[in-house]
Amino acid sequence: MALRPVRILFAWLLLGLLSREAASGATSPDKINFSRDILPILSDNCYQCHGPDEPARKAKLRFDTREGAFRVKDGKAVIVPGKSAESELIRRITTTDADDLMPPLKSNRKLTPNQIQTLKRWVEQGAQWSKHWAFDPPQRPELPKIKDKRWAHNGIDAFILTRLEKEKLKPAPEARKETLLRRVTLDLTGLPPTLAEIDAFLADKSPNAYEKAVDRLLASPRYGERMATDWLDIARYADTHGYQMDRYRSMWPYRDWVIKAFNQNLKFDQFITWQLAGDLLPNPTKDQRLATAFNRLHMQNEEGGIVEEEYRVAYVVDRVNTMGTAFLGLTMECCRCHDHKFDPITQREFYSMSAFFQNIDESGQTSYFTGAMPVPTLLLSDNTTDAKLAELDRKIKEKEQQLPGLREQARESFEHWLTTKTNKLEIPGLVGSFAFDEIVSGKVTNAADPGKPATVNENPKLVPGKSGQCAELDGENGFTFPGLGHFTRADPFSLSLWVQTPSHAPRFVIAHHSIAPIDAGSRGYELLLEDGRVAVGLHHMWPGNSLKVISKEPVPTNEWVHVTVTYDGSSRAAGVKIYMNRSLVALEVIRDGLYKDITYEGSEPNLAIGFRMRDNGFKGGRVDDFRIFNRELTSLEVTHVSGRTDFADSWNAAGSNMTKVQREGMLDFYFATIYPPAQQLRDELHKLRQEQSGLINPIPEAMVMKETAQPRPAYILKRGAYDMHGDQISADTPAALPPFPADQPRNRLGLAQWLLSPDYPLTSRVTVNRAWQMMFGKGVVETSDNFGRQGAFPTHPELLDWLARDFVDTGWDMKRLLKLIALSATYRQSSHASPEVLARDPGNELLARGPVRRLTAEMLRDQALAVSGLIVEKIGGPSVKPYQPEGLWEEKAMGAPHYDQGQGDELHRRSLYTFWKRTVPHPAMIAFDASERNVCTVRRQSTSTPLQALVLLNDTQIVEAARRLGERMLKEGGKTLDEQVAWTFRLVTDRRPTARETKVLTQLFVEQRNLFAGDQPATSKFLSVGESRADSALNPADLVAAAVLAEAVLNHDEAVMRR
Amino acid sequence: MNRRDFFRRFALGIGGVALSSLLAKDAFAASAFAANPFKGLLDAPHFAPKAKRIIYLFMSGGPSQVDLFDYKPLLNKMNGQDLPESVRNGQRLTGMSAHQATLPIAGSIFNFAQHGKSGAWVSDLMPWTAKMADELCFIKSLHTEAINHDPAITFFQTGSQLAGRPSMGAWLSYGLGSANQNLPAFVVLISKDRIDQPLYARLWGNGFLPSTHQGVQFRSGKDPVLYLANPNGISGESRRKMLDRMAELHALQFKDLGDPEINSRVAQYELAYRMQTSVPEIMDISKESESVFELYGPEAKNPGSFAANCILARRMAERDVRFIQLYHPGWDHHGNLPNGIRRQCGDVDRASYALITDLKQRGLLDDTLVVWGGEFGRTNYSQGKLTATDYGRDHHPRCFTAWMAGGGVKPGISFGATDDYGYSVVQDPVHVHDLQATILHLMGIDHEKLTYKFQGRYYRLTDVHGQVVRNILA
Repeated sequence: MALRPVRILFAWLLLGLLSREAASGATSPDKINFSRDILPILSDNCYQCHGPDEPARKAKLRFDTREGAFRVKDGKAVIVPGKSAESELIRRITTTDADDLMPPLKSNRKLTPNQIQTLKRWVEQGAQWSKHWAFDPPQRPELPKIKDKRWAHNGIDAFILTRLEKEKLKPAPEARKETLLRRVTLDLTGLPPTLAEIDAFLADKSPNAYEKAVDRLLASPRYGERMATDWLDIARYADTHGYQMDRYRSMWPYRDWVIKAFNQNLKFDQFITWQLAGDLLPNPTKDQRLATAFNRLHMQNEEGGIVEEEYRVAYVVDRVNTMGTAFLGLTMECCRCHDHKFDPITQREFYSMSAFFQNIDESGQTSYFTGAMPVPTLLLSDNTTDAKLAELDRKIKEKEQQLPGLREQARESFEHWLTTKTNKLEIPGLVGSFAFDEIVSGKVTNAADPGKPATVNENPKLVPGKSGQCAELDGENGFTFPGLGHFTRADPFSLSLWVQTPSHAPRFVIAHHSIAPIDAGSRGYELLLEDGRVAVGLHHMWPGNSLKVISKEPVPTNEWVHVTVTYDGSSRAAGVKIYMNRSLVALEVIRDGLYKDITYEGSEPNLAIGFRMRDNGFKGGRVDDFRIFNRELTSLEVTHVSGRTDFADSWNAAGSNMTKVQREGMLDFYFATIYPPAQQLRDELHKLRQEQSGLINPIPEAMVMKETAQPRPAYILKRGAYDMHGDQISADTPAALPPFPADQPRNRLGLAQWLLSPDYPLTSRVTVNRAWQMMFGKGVVETSDNFGRQGAFPTHPELLDWLARDFVDTGWDMKRLLKLIALSATYRQSSHASPEVLARDPGNELLARGPVRRLTAEMLRDQALAVSGLIVEKIGGPSVKPYQPEGLWEEKAMGAPHYDQGQGDELHRRSLYTFWKRTVPHPAMIAFDASERNVCTVRRQSTSTPLQALVLLNDTQIVEAARRLGERMLKEGGKTLDEQVAWTFRLVTDRRPTARETKVLTQLFVEQRNLFAGDQPATSKFLSVGESRADSALNPADLVAAAVLAEAVLNHDEAVMRR
Repeated sequence: MNRRDFFRRFALGIGGVALSSLLAKDAFAASAFAANPFKGLLDAPHFAPKAKRIIYLFMSGGPSQVDLFDYKPLLNKMNGQDLPESVRNGQRLTGMSAHQATLPIAGSIFNFAQHGKSGAWVSDLMPWTAKMADELCFIKSLHTEAINHDPAITFFQTGSQLAGRPSMGAWLSYGLGSANQNLPAFVVLISKDRIDQPLYARLWGNGFLPSTHQGVQFRSGKDPVLYLANPNGISGESRRKMLDRMAELHALQFKDLGDPEINSRVAQYELAYRMQTSVPEIMDISKESESVFELYGPEAKNPGSFAANCILARRMAERDVRFIQLYHPGWDHHGNLPNGIRRQCGDVDRASYALITDLKQRGLLDDTLVVWGGEFGRTNYSQGKLTATDYGRDHHPRCFTAWMAGGGVKPGISFGATDDYGYSVVQDPVHVHDLQATILHLMGIDHEKLTYKFQGRYYRLTDVHGQVVRNILA
């Protein structure tokens, strides 16, 4: 959460209230520590105008570097070491002249008297200067010498105890065994221990009983689920895209990978590397590629009409910010618009970092009209499918290789055919032929198939054309061709027409079979003029799943040009040919990565000419003689459809009189349309491709990183605006951090290596700090999201470094780290504190007692499910939809999507599997401070609100669980009521109630039973809450009373808190 | 962290820290601690507030200013002509109309007239609003940066186009707290059956502020606040007895542990219990007089309608709910605008008039600020086909109109002006951040001083921008 650094709080507390007891190092009168005591004051109060942000700097004076702070100008020294009275800094912060006073009144900053004192003392003590602590590599400190040798279990305790001894505080005794087991079980698995586990632990008198328990928990698959829950906050994982429609995205395979990675204890350096750059590892596995989804889980926008580049930039920025928060603990986003105000990162460096993250073939707007996953993607096929695909691939390649060889074989039968062919030249495969000579009742005749005429859209004009009339277009009007041209990527086809363009505009749509360009990811096929050049595309989802070629030369303007496009059904750019005025033209390949189909899965749009939704129609253009073929034309045929007689001449020439060119052209035609072995092979090839497409299409995809061959040009964006390019820059890391390793590639893989180099100051510290936060509720650095100068100073800096070094030196082993923490005497302390200790250290900075925390949103729900026995433990799979108040999606979300509540087991899965819709997240989760999952979050708030009480009292999920718990109480809890309430209380809180508590609990039960005993309607209403059935063998009034009691226990402090 | 931050934190029960012995030594702290858990950061506003509460009538989707308030006869004269490039002057268009072959200027088909002593222009779509023109302050020169709904509405409600910042109501709750012990400071009401563009929970979210400050949506129906109703079969008596026993258990727990967090939780349960009465009470408008229903119009008896929500807004204002946010979606008229806008005006015109009149009659208008407006305006040209009776309009960020009334705002003025094309602001531009600064100002808050430190930076609603629009202050 976003509280101010506790260090400051702590200092204030002690200085302001307890100065008599000033015991903490922060306030000890002897030695000022620059990084701990001075830098935060300077940063918070001065850097806004005298910090790293050069354009914003006043009086060219800076306090973020030694040179700046010790500047002497016009005979005035900012700081004179040892002489506060002569230091301009001290004069300006103490002056009574309002014009001279620093920080200025209008800055809304004010130094406290204590801060002024501290600065003075620092100057008096010689004004020692050092780097911000977090930018220096962690040093492995010596374990401090401690007096009480019996208490410590491991190195952690040495650091904690040294400090306590200095503060003259004693650590708390070890927590009760039950309490400890509940604490560590919740912390490591997110679930409470079972009664059997408690009993076993109590019974185990061996000296390493606790260690065995910790080992058991770390080996439990629940551990991975628990760890994943926190990691998914960092990865901003959700089940929807987040913007506008907020549609479903099926990214749970990433979530399942995270669970698996934690359970298998994938070493954390690998865990980071795979996620940042798994695609760049040599021969990456599917898991390694799937892990890179980490970079793609940001929100994705499909709102119609957005500027695509604006959101592409937003996504790249989000990746950098996430990387910054997750691994550097730095607030990179500050530098999107300007140099960082507090930390040494410039805007240029921000964009140099972002240059690592933008080299993928993506679109800033994802498809509105199709369900395509934002590209690039990974096909999540299983092994069986992979084997089938490999086999198909082999067969297709084999046939593709066979086909050309058949042409020579065809010669003999070709010669025979020449002598027997009919006189009538006919081009097979013509399915549409439109002369645009007249419009009758809004239709244009189809000479090839009178049943399928073209339909006029918005009155295109007919004017004299290439032959007879032609269509003149205005950009919004044109023709559609219902029932024609519904080709898949496996179907060969050809289009031909005469075109006359008025100009070389950036973009003219001539013909297309699609709903829209960007709003549909261009799904379909299209024939365009781009700056006069003829472009042909076949798209599943532009640009990462697309095929597109463009002619190198433009067509002339204001002249009729005949254009033919042929496609062979191969899904490859090489399978597309473009003819201009009968000549094959040279093409540039724009994209060659089509791997899913170009159709709309059943609701196909019409092939159209002249216009397209949200696109530039063929304004001022003319078209004539449009033909559609369901096969790939040969070049001789192309001449024919363009109106020349080459083909007819060849056809009519007697066999012996044919020129070589005519003969070869005729052989092409024969080979393409008649020669039976070739026809058969083509047919087989077509079937195989269809089969392949049919197999691939349903395979789910995951958004992943897939590095483009060439890096995308990168620029500084002035003021962070997507369209204001500044200097071009290349991928690089900030100068204030260690240099980029010379032997590493300048890509994400190199970046990962940079983050993971042994002396790197941040990654290891940030990681162990989060582990500490997970176990203690807050980090050694409380601001686990900010290790910069505005962040909190570590409560135990040496401990942090020792942990970081140990973590790296022992191979980034997360389970080992957590075990180390769990086994420490520090962690095992009772959280019960004497009033004196509470007063001395309300925030528990010193850890003279164990940590107390409220359970997280997930733990509270999972606990209720677990103790009631309702929980369904199954790892992974699609997210599920448990109980949720009715109508929440419908009343807010676009298109009134229905929350389709799950059935059976789906109602009782662990909470990390609850469906996360970003715009309408589950309200019970949000009430308990679950992260919204819109941006990277490394620490949650922990609040207490009346809405939480309402959830825990009235949510169907909890009420049902309470009823089941009540059933268990009556059936398993023992013979007497006292035994039963004690059993229930212990099951939930892990301890036995005191006699007084038992009395209150039994009173509660009796009162409720009396209330319900005569009230059959109320009883049956209550017992039917939730989908699971109440046990009808039990006395209904007893069961209601037991359920209410169970609910009270689930709401008890000791259930809601982990102490 | 200053003292108030500190006590705010612990008053909310964050962190699990025992302060009782400390608090005993500090009278200030003790009083802060004992006070309402909904208390705000500020002990007192930065200066005397003109408004004690806000009713924000958010017209989600972007109402067409050129058909409602910004009268531009030139558009009728030039109807059908292509919008000159010199007028557009590089303004980016959304992808919905950027590729149109032409951008035909579309004059409004609705008739405009001047109303009241102030002579404000209002079209015949809004006869009721026209009647109260002299109560209103029209801001005709609002402008924004976003051109699409999601970023634009997020910008309006949180000061940033990207998700993650606290909403305006959350900021006010954080600053001023709740003036009512039994109700949240920030309540959200959404008109039913009007969603075209979506609404997002983040629009009333707390962002990085403590979640106590998030807006609480009140809904028509049996559970007006999520999870408010007791489970089926559980009577008030059963619940009360259960809570009493829980309180006893917690008293024992507190005696054992001394953790004030325990008492804070008990207080939250009691407040939740009180809300079970106070919320249904406020949501039950059946006891409103017939004259009230007459004033708000026939839809007022239809729960979840804008008119019904306006009555609720007035009831909440009476009970000092700090920020009452209504959303009325359905203004996104890319096509078929005339029919769409007629329906929308039918929903809101009379009810808005009724709300202002009602507040005035009850003496509440003086210290209640009412704001009416959407996230952006609409284009002066037609998106799609322009005919004699039909057209559509795309999103337009450069100018749009909102009105304010009541607490501290000059009544009967029109502020700012656009060019003859209704395309750009030519006088007194008001940026979204300016409007936000002005709203905070009217509530007694200096928008530069209400900050929250998150990840090392002091955030505020207006980011690093915003000027109070002094000329509209009464």
